[in-house]
Amino acid sequence: MKLHEKELRVVYTDTLIELMTENSKVVCLEADLGKSSGTVPRVWDAFPDRFFDVGVAEANMIGISAGLANEGLVPFCATFTPFATRRAYDQITISIAYAENPVKIVGTAPGVTTAKNGATHMCFQDLAIMRAMPNMRVYCPADVYELRSMVKYMAASKKPEYMQLIREVHAPIFDEDYQFDPNKARVLAEGSDVTLVTTGLTTQFAREAVKSLHQDGIQVEHIHYPSVKPFDVDTLLASVKKTHAVVTAENQNVIGGLGGAVCEVLAENYPAKVKRLGAQDRFGEVGDVPYLSATLGFSAKDMVAACREMKATG
Amino acid sequence: MEQIESKDQLDQLAKEFRYIVTDIMCRAGGGHIGGSLSLVEIIITLYFRILNIKPDEPRWEDRDRFILSKGHAGPTLYTALAYRGYFPKEVLLTLNANGTKLPSHVDQVITPGVDQTAGSLGQGLSCATGIALASKLHKRTNNVFCVVGDGESQEGQIWEAAMFAAHHKLDNLVVITDYNKMQIDAEVEKIVSLEPVVDKWRSFGWEVFEIDGHDWDDIYDTINKAMAVKDKPAMIVAHTVKAKGNVCYENRIECHFISIPDEDERQRVIGGVCVEGEEEPFEFNWTEGK
Repeated sequence: MKLHEKELRVVYTDTLIELMTENSKVVCLEADLGKSSGTVPRVWDAFPDRFFDVGVAEANMIGISAGLANEGLVPFCATFTPFATRRAYDQITISIAYAENPVKIVGTAPGVTTAKNGATHMCFQDLAIMRAMPNMRVYCPADVYELRSMVKYMAASKKPEYMQLIREVHAPIFDEDYQFDPNKARVLAEGSDVTLVTTGLTTQFAREAVKSLHQDGIQVEHIHYPSVKPFDVDTLLASVKKTHAVVTAENQNVIGGLGGAVCEVLAENYPAKVKRLGAQDRFGEVGDVPYLSATLGFSAKDMVAACREMKATG
Repeated sequence: MEQIESKDQLDQLAKEFRYIVTDIMCRAGGGHIGGSLSLVEIIITLYFRILNIKPDEPRWEDRDRFILSKGHAGPTLYTALAYRGYFPKEVLLTLNANGTKLPSHVDQVITPGVDQTAGSLGQGLSCATGIALASKLHKRTNNVFCVVGDGESQEGQIWEAAMFAAHHKLDNLVVITDYNKMQIDAEVEKIVSLEPVVDKWRSFGWEVFEIDGHDWDDIYDTINKAMAVKDKPAMIVAHTVKAKGNVCYENRIECHFISIPDEDERQRVIGGVCVEGEEEPFEFNWTEGK
């Protein structure tokens, strides 16, 4: 079985087991959603002394992780995205970020990928709120190769970090040699008409959009941001200096996330027209991923339409 | 350091602590005097009779940890840290000054000797629990001490940590509740009662003790008993008096946070630090450091 045929959560679990085998300081925490992250039962069985399910108590999971990190351990703690971020936001802010305790927070089933769990579990603001927190880094992998490299990077870094984790299988974008660097965005297609900026799930969607746009003769430059913070300013500016037009697409509210980061950088450095695709300041609902991404306006089709319009009016 | 055993010495130390805490707050224009003064005997006992620490090596791995979950009592902890030599006593005068290393709420990043940042209530006990768990993972034999407030115990996160610590049998964790019976808006009994607080902790699987939080022997003996408990974390419910030892504020609701608008008020409040039976208020000589 090739790595990219595996679910992302399986690769997250494989990678954690590999790290925990190599490094006795790596510990795994869950808040009764370990089956969903993939760590239950495999990590629990493999490392019963370094696996802690705190129960349905996210604030406590964050505090315990902060204490463990304060003592030199490397805690990876996961739960659904809304509970991993907004539910324990002050705990993360004070016990982790302000105190500089390098905990690794994993938000599973981000945005529409929580699908049938609906609006209560569908977090569209984690990128925005985590990005607004000093000392916090914010990552969204686009495939298993990037995920694996990112998890290894996080285990080695001494910083508080947050990563979105989509659970399902993704098409491969990178390969075995991929090395994650938070300061480096990835140009996945070159072009001079319009810049398309995506992260995580929307990077997957963008592959189809880019193909379609190229067939139509629209030269789209596609940039994937595995790290929304730190944000690679240079790669964006180099592209926009060619295209003067940007479309952003994210599995998030359009306020404050990836689109927000792009607008901040451009407003201060190189003003250009930007169209932000994502949930238009609204909550989610139950549905499957194709339905929700189309309804909310960040499907491949929406990217194609936005890039075409940008080219036509540019 | 030689442990301080004599009551006279301990009383003298408490007197100095109360004067200093009051003085540095007054100079800073105000502060959380009530919950700082209620903890004086407990903090002195920990830092001069219990904790195994090396002030010249603040991050020594095998040291005992102290987490002040009610982080607003920082000034009392800072006084103990200065007396134990983590930094010079004059630094205490920088409390809350611009650019200080001694902020109102405790900060592990900027203050030598502070083991865990706290101040947003309810979080410190979870962190202490994680620290105690880390000690177990590292197979250390040290103890982890934590002080929580009574008002703070209204936070749900306290009880999340309580469940977890008992479930994982963290017998290296000793927690003290500073039960001074008051919070910002009114008496704890009037806001949301903690009672029966001893039964609550016991029902959560903790070994529970109850003490007079200003009685040297009671504090010392009970902490030792708590450290000897096996297979459970220990809770010491310490009955204390808010703003203890400052007659201007002792046991008054308005003592949680005081503002010192001018020199007259400063003189009045500093004059409030006196000891029963003594006519003259105690005064600490900053230039001589005693």
